[in-house]
Amino acid sequence: MEIVTETIEIQLKKGVLALCVLALLSRADSYAYEIASRLAKDIDMGEGTIYPLMRRLQADGLVETYLVESQSGPPRKYYRLTDAGRGSFTQQKTEWAAFTRAVNDILGAGA
Amino acid sequence: MTRADFMARLRSGLAGLPAATIEDIAADYETHFADAQAAGRSEQEVADALGAPGRLARELRAEAGLKKWEEQKNPSAAAAAIFAVLGLGAIDIIVLLPILMGVLGAMFGFFVAVIAVFFAGGVVFAAGPFADPPGGPVTAILGGLGMMAIATSIGALLTLATIGLVNALVWYARLHYRLLKPAIDPQG
Repeated sequence: MEIVTETIEIQLKKGVLALCVLALLSRADSYAYEIASRLAKDIDMGEGTIYPLMRRLQADGLVETYLVESQSGPPRKYYRLTDAGRGSFTQQKTEWAAFTRAVNDILGAGA
Repeated sequence: MTRADFMARLRSGLAGLPAATIEDIAADYETHFADAQAAGRSEQEVADALGAPGRLARELRAEAGLKKWEEQKNPSAAAAAIFAVLGLGAIDIIVLLPILMGVLGAMFGFFVAVIAVFFAGGVVFAAGPFADPPGGPVTAILGGLGMMAIATSIGALLTLATIGLVNALVWYARLHYRLLKPAIDPQG
């Protein structure tokens, strides 16, 4: 039973990771360390996971990067949403809202 | 694990990707260490939080292999995608392997057969009329053309089926490695 619960939790987290990143970027452009530490703190995911994910989002054309000069050290790579990324975020957010509402209804009915 | 250990393992795991891609990925993680250090965290702590470098490298390689297949549908990209999927080392993919090999073997056999029928058709078309066939020279010419046409259309269908098969495999792999455990585990 414990194993089942653990698996569901991991699957849920991994599934919503991309959505969370899109949500953070929809509010403000950001850099990987900031995104990673935010998600590591809030949903307890491995910080390293952010980099394969950012590369995939970039390859899929949902985010793009630009460099910003920094006072300390080399220029920093920032991520921002593309138009496609914005569209994908809106769509996924709607799907997520509908899904969680349905699950909550079922959970509420069972209680 | 120290920063240097982590980077060395990551790089060795990425070997085989284009040099520019490896540098790009390595730079991301170097920046991560630098940012974390500026925030007052130890190398050890950061390396632990990042997760196992070997596993991260496999995910990054798999993503690169699958991406190549999406961009260019050719045999080398298909091979890259299939090896990327195998590299993930998910147990169910290993279970799937004998079946996959069977299917790929059968498709290869069909391709060989189709090519053979095509050439046989060509021979019937070109040489048949001189060999005094039953039904006369015109029958041989039409029969030869027919064989070539059938071989061409079956070949086209087979190509479509092969592309579909690799696409299905890629979809399966994506679905799975998103669900694989270690990468999300903070202690990785």
